[in-house]
Amino acid sequence: MSEMWINMGPQHPMTHGLWNLRVKIDGEMILDVDPEMGYLHRGIEKISEDRHYNEVITLMDRCCYVAGFAWEHLYIQSAEQALGLRPPERAEYLRVLCDEFQRIASHLMWYAAFVQDIGLMSPFLYGMRDRDLVLDLFQSYTGARMTYEYMRVGGVRNDVPPGFTDQARKVLDWLSDRFVEYDQLCLGSTIFRERCDDLGTLKANDCVAHGVTGPMLRAAGLKRDLRKDRPYAAYDRLEFDVAVADSADVTARYLVRMEEMRQSVRILRQVVDWLDRHPGPVLAERLPRWLGAPYAPIGNEGYLLKRHYAKGVGFSAVEEPHGEAQAYVVNDGGEHPYRVKFRSPVFANISAARQYLVGYHVADIPPIMGSVDVCVGEVDR
Amino acid sequence: MQPDDIARQLAPKLGDGLLSVEPFPGTAGRVRFRSERALELFRAVRDDLHFGHLSMVGAIDWVDHREVFYVAWSDAATQYLFLSTDVPASAAHVESASSVWPSANWHEREAWEMVDVTFDNHPDLRHLLMPDGYAFHPLLRSFKLHEPEELEVKSRHV
Amino acid sequence: MASATLYSVSDGLASALLHALGSVLPGPARAAVTNPNVIVGLAVLIFAVILLAASMLNTILLIWWERKLLGRFMDRRGAMHVGFAGLLQNFADGLKLFRKNTFQPQEADPLGFYTGPCAYMVTSLIIFGVLPISSGWNAGTLPLTLLLALAIFSFAPLFIFVSAWSSNNKYSLMGGMRSAAQMIAYEVPILLAVVAVILVAGSFNLTTIVYEQQNYWFWGPLVVALIVFVAGMLAEMERIPFDLPEAEAELVEGWNTEYGGMLFAFFMLADYLRALVGSILVVLLFLGGWTMPTWVPGALTSFPLAGIFWFMVKTYTVFGLFVWVRASLPRVRTDQLLRVGWNRMIPLSLLSIFLAAVLVTVKCLPLLGCVPGVGS
Repeated sequence: MSEMWINMGPQHPMTHGLWNLRVKIDGEMILDVDPEMGYLHRGIEKISEDRHYNEVITLMDRCCYVAGFAWEHLYIQSAEQALGLRPPERAEYLRVLCDEFQRIASHLMWYAAFVQDIGLMSPFLYGMRDRDLVLDLFQSYTGARMTYEYMRVGGVRNDVPPGFTDQARKVLDWLSDRFVEYDQLCLGSTIFRERCDDLGTLKANDCVAHGVTGPMLRAAGLKRDLRKDRPYAAYDRLEFDVAVADSADVTARYLVRMEEMRQSVRILRQVVDWLDRHPGPVLAERLPRWLGAPYAPIGNEGYLLKRHYAKGVGFSAVEEPHGEAQAYVVNDGGEHPYRVKFRSPVFANISAARQYLVGYHVADIPPIMGSVDVCVGEVDR
Repeated sequence: MQPDDIARQLAPKLGDGLLSVEPFPGTAGRVRFRSERALELFRAVRDDLHFGHLSMVGAIDWVDHREVFYVAWSDAATQYLFLSTDVPASAAHVESASSVWPSANWHEREAWEMVDVTFDNHPDLRHLLMPDGYAFHPLLRSFKLHEPEELEVKSRHV
Repeated sequence: MASATLYSVSDGLASALLHALGSVLPGPARAAVTNPNVIVGLAVLIFAVILLAASMLNTILLIWWERKLLGRFMDRRGAMHVGFAGLLQNFADGLKLFRKNTFQPQEADPLGFYTGPCAYMVTSLIIFGVLPISSGWNAGTLPLTLLLALAIFSFAPLFIFVSAWSSNNKYSLMGGMRSAAQMIAYEVPILLAVVAVILVAGSFNLTTIVYEQQNYWFWGPLVVALIVFVAGMLAEMERIPFDLPEAEAELVEGWNTEYGGMLFAFFMLADYLRALVGSILVVLLFLGGWTMPTWVPGALTSFPLAGIFWFMVKTYTVFGLFVWVRASLPRVRTDQLLRVGWNRMIPLSLLSIFLAAVLVTVKCLPLLGCVPGVGS
């Protein structure tokens, strides 16, 4: 067979979304790749220029459909900087609660899709089953399972319901037991190791050069995690370790994500305990005077935020489940953000595709791209 | 790392290419520079200040001019650095950063198609999110929403 | 009716039918209808219809069995709603596929595109004609049924490749290539493993091979051959971990990507037919066919159709093992698969032949027999 280009996508089981990986192959070998994005481009940055500050939150949930909370948090932080607001402490803990549960949910989704990619059928259902427990928790305090619209400029929308923390503890106990099973199913399998070891290797210096962040970078041995390096929300008051591995291959990324889920459970136990002990407000009740808003009834913040602001910019970054996400919000004093710019970690991770795909087999594409954990919603925005 | 330190280290290399270094929320500071000296600045930031990782490139349309901004990260300082330069709207072009930071590649492609800033010597300046042959630049202020847009998109690969 | 065979039953049925028909017809027509050749012809037809119905029914039941088992392995229930415990779900699915429009890609070659699935289906069905299911259910005394069954079984790569190539799709073509490479690679160890069985049984006839196992089943003494045979069958049936010709993660659906509706159903059914054949061959060659060990109480082995019952129990258990493998193993890669095939399986199968030859020579088979036989 001579060389040929094949389109893996836009509708292809490997893509887990809507994008196209053009692959040049010779027989079963990959000679070149050219990712083609944009099939899911909704122009979120453009739409944001036409929305009030709180209305953008709705878009953020749709930005990454498996990690909505992380993106809400990201935008909220930048918007608060741009507007000069500060959330109450309990809101910060609640945001961490959202973020970490979201990380677990996202990683479970990744696990389900990834094992499916290498042909392991049953764990797909296990991952989805356990993710559902986390989504049930989300539903109990946001009313939604995917598009939460929960965080607000100046705090969060509402507190968790009574009994939530006990339920959360039960879920955490269940999850920590399941992680052992996952490892037995995958790492205990010779075929799994045969398929994943020394596959899709991307060394640390290549990761840095190509802007790769998140579990892929940590799997290359670089201990970089914004939650530690530049703590935001309540992360500086919580104990956890940064998961790293050093073989830089698919197995290493698997190990890193598994360890991250364990660390998330550890963080969540502390957060849940803290929430039990420290009741308090979750939304900045009194927005600053220059907003012209003496009393801000909850649920009506959007109206108040239509008023005048001082000019300002906000730049913030969060450690999203896929890597490092950044948001830049420019406030020119008008009703709407003048410009919003998001940096998606998966965007950078996919842009390096040539570095970690060329030279492997066609059959290696699904495990490698699976280990990248593609979420097209945030790549295309 | 404070804005003053950055200015002190960059000034000898850049000379009048460096306009100012000011505090900027969430980062070590914002470096404003002349677009003609972009490549020198990128090298200095990467090699002297050790900001080895370019996170993001973007552009803002300020109607009379356009601003191109870069966000770099240093593992040693665990800090971000914000770089920005103004280019006139009539001749919006700046040297590509992708020879210094390969990660700039896709970000510059996006900035080019969205805000119409050309990156000189870019290895692969094609459309990224928009279809090939798309004639508009959606993130320009002149591109209004709420107006129906008719456009025939041809398949890229037959 | 222990001596009645499936063919003798259909023969009796045909002749009774035709004679009854002839008795109401005038003389010349009666002679034509009761002509022995016509009777044989109708008998063969009835025989074929019974076989077809039985194999299709079993295949559909097999799919249900797999869906239920997989469901349990995955912590869910499997098909539940159509019929008792979802038994009719596959009929509903078949009906849905049957109603679908038959289409072909614009650039596909119609000849190969349509003959491929049909030939694949037909060759899979033909094998059932020679497989003995019980002492009464077999095609007669053909001397080389085992060889014939395996020969027809290995037609498949040809038709898969034809349909893959004529669909004019790169994924199909790659799937077809993989399929051809894989089946050819695993054909060899399977045949070599079978040689071990033939050495011990001293016959190519499947019925004889089963009767040879009345005293001891072959899986004990020929365990190496069994391992090779089962692994090879997994590859031949294109099931996980060897399902890479249709690895849905990278090749969409492999060689049947372009097929939809009833043509897809043909592939699906033929796949399960082949899975059934594979399980049946394992039972016939290694697990004593329809015979049962003597420690099983006589009441359990002497009721009518006990042979078929126990045969089916064994077959579905073997297939259940295949499903278990599918539920818990990832897929291997082409080069790994071929490496295992050529570098491991062939030496192992040669070893199994050697072991079988030694066993036959020193006549110590009964000592190694794991399960005492039922017969005298």
